[in-house]
Amino acid sequence: MKFKKVLKIASIVCLALVVVVTSIIGTACGGSTDTDKTVKVGFSICYTGVAAEKGRPMGDAKLDCIKYINEELGGVNGYEIEVIWRDNQYDASKAATIINELMDADTLMFTTNSSAMMTASAEIANRQAFPGFAVFSTPALTNPPQHIYAQMPDYGDDWAAFANYFLENIWAGTGKPKMALHLLNNSTGAGAKAAAEALADDLGIEIVSIEEHDATTISEIDSITRIMAQEPDILYISSTPQPTSIIIQNAVEKGLYPGVTIGCGHASFTSVLVELAGADAEGVYGVFPTVNWDDSAPAMAKMTEYCQEYHPEHYGNMDYITSWAEGLIVAEILRLALENAGIDNLTPQIVEEQGFKKLDNFDVGGLHGPVSYTPGDNRLAKSVRVFQVQDGEIVPITGWVEAPKIPYQFD
Amino acid sequence: MDLPSGIRNYTYDRDMAIFRTKTHWSMLLILFVILGTLPLYLDNHWLSVANLIGITIIAATGLNILIGYCGQLSIGHAGFIAVGAYTSAVLTNRLELPFLVGLISAGLLSGFIGVVFGIPSVRVKGFYLAISTIAAQIIIIWIINHWESVTGGFNGIVVPPAKIAGITFVSQGSQFYLIIGIAILVIFFAKNLARTRVGRAFIAIRDNDLAAEVMGINLFRYKLLAFFIGCFLAGIAGSLLAHWIGFMNTENFRLTESILYVGIIIIGGLGSTIGPILGVVFIRLLEKGISFLAPTLESTFDLPAGFTTGIGPMVFGIVIILFLILEPRGLAHRWQLFKASYRLWPFSY
Repeated sequence: MKFKKVLKIASIVCLALVVVVTSIIGTACGGSTDTDKTVKVGFSICYTGVAAEKGRPMGDAKLDCIKYINEELGGVNGYEIEVIWRDNQYDASKAATIINELMDADTLMFTTNSSAMMTASAEIANRQAFPGFAVFSTPALTNPPQHIYAQMPDYGDDWAAFANYFLENIWAGTGKPKMALHLLNNSTGAGAKAAAEALADDLGIEIVSIEEHDATTISEIDSITRIMAQEPDILYISSTPQPTSIIIQNAVEKGLYPGVTIGCGHASFTSVLVELAGADAEGVYGVFPTVNWDDSAPAMAKMTEYCQEYHPEHYGNMDYITSWAEGLIVAEILRLALENAGIDNLTPQIVEEQGFKKLDNFDVGGLHGPVSYTPGDNRLAKSVRVFQVQDGEIVPITGWVEAPKIPYQFD
Repeated sequence: MDLPSGIRNYTYDRDMAIFRTKTHWSMLLILFVILGTLPLYLDNHWLSVANLIGITIIAATGLNILIGYCGQLSIGHAGFIAVGAYTSAVLTNRLELPFLVGLISAGLLSGFIGVVFGIPSVRVKGFYLAISTIAAQIIIIWIINHWESVTGGFNGIVVPPAKIAGITFVSQGSQFYLIIGIAILVIFFAKNLARTRVGRAFIAIRDNDLAAEVMGINLFRYKLLAFFIGCFLAGIAGSLLAHWIGFMNTENFRLTESILYVGIIIIGGLGSTIGPILGVVFIRLLEKGISFLAPTLESTFDLPAGFTTGIGPMVFGIVIILFLILEPRGLAHRWQLFKASYRLWPFSY
């Protein structure tokens, strides 16, 4: 009883402290939001939840990048970028309330890391003509094009780029190569599947097996066994790092790999995959839309400096690169809108017309392909590179490969 | 029902009434006035939170009827909400049927599927039943993901805004009236259900199903009825969720959502009408508070980006654990104690 009483008092005190601290901080922060020398943007970040392995480096990178822009470059055209960010916990209903919050907070645009969280926000944003872009996206988000954009080529483009690379550089057999797909059971997997269904016949690839897995899978021995029965030449995985590492390890365990060629979409192909899969990942191919760490690119030095100073744990993680580039693109969109419309006229709709749609070969410090708006195609960057794991490192083996728009038919 | 000192009922009708004193009626009126004017002083963000709370209350009330009143443990509630959401989405998008048809059909189909998955409850209970309802969640989500021609599969399906008699519910304010209106009806229904023969049969089954059967209660019928009602309300909540978000894919209906619903009704207080309401409001506002706290702390104390994100799950977990230790009967019990003390005020001793 005594323990319960102490616990009760302690919990009441803690809760009271949380309430008091929150309100004091909230009051203290109130003034800064009203300054007229800022332009507001909203970030819906999956910092926690099942996709935190990607959300954390990406969230840290974009906030670091905005810090760099504000502190070292003096903001955008003299206006500081004010960020309102919220952790959506990779939860769709939370993402839906967050998008409303960002619109209410007079932000001019928003971004999400993942296609899943963008799908939860997209319809509400589209109805209000509130523009935003997803770093990682699925074809369904931008087809048909509305007010949601994709920073980079989508999961379908990955599949197409890898399929082309395989046919031109690896395939030495006769007839159609046989491909097995191992897909995450969400939009990450669905994007690759949609592209395979649209293009496989034309490219001359036979899809012999389609397996699905969960983000929290701990064994894919069964699905690998079924795939082996189809004797594929290629195993293509569109997923996130953790399940991809399980699939690769199981493929090695069952003797499927080495033997087949394994290719991965960009959602999984980061240093985290190499860490998780270890030596089993050696020789695995992957498509990624950015350069690698330590590559020669104008933005690399500053990004590396910030990463090593504030988040050294993310050094080597390519997700950090994608979202540093995201921060640069946000700044460029705002710069264009400010120049074309002026600070007094900025609304989300003006930012879309005078910012998003004016993007023309913007160089993201060489971190990924140039960023342009093309009418009818809401993908901002349209090129990818093929990488391979060599001696435990992710090494680029091609230059930029254009990802042409795939003619999808979504409802 | 307890009454304030000095007040007595002189008729059976009055004794049975939910609202019996002028204070009750006044408070109800004040509540309606507050709810009715809420869109005037809340912005879209807080209205969207209120809408999410309303939808969650409807679903949690259904689960409370199933678990709290009838004692049938279900950990597949998100699956039944998904059935409702997709039924409404498919009927209003693909077949272009009116929203009300979608709404009612969502409830009915969800209820019917709930009955199908509730059949094992006649033979198994407790953890065994919980496992069978988890199976329901997995099967339902699998079917939705793979019935691509109808549901859109993993790519999802766009859901048009709700429309009744020419009024389109697009803004958060208009959706608030729709959602809260239905939530009030559901709460009223649940309150009355508990006082009917059916409700008392549910409680008898929960407390001792063997004794209930000996007393003549048909276990098969009442258990399945509980599944139907619980899942019917889940379907209604799913339909509203679909039209509120405007886009559905199965990311909205993970197993963790089902577990969250069980947590909500435990924190709120099982087997009471007010319990799910308090539980939902507590959990949803806690989530909002936590999501606000992390970025605020970082900007105030100039912490490195992402430094405070871990406090969210931590605070959430600690609060739930403390709650279960200190008030296992839930917020509803606290509310009862508060009312009892107020009832005797100023002579409580």
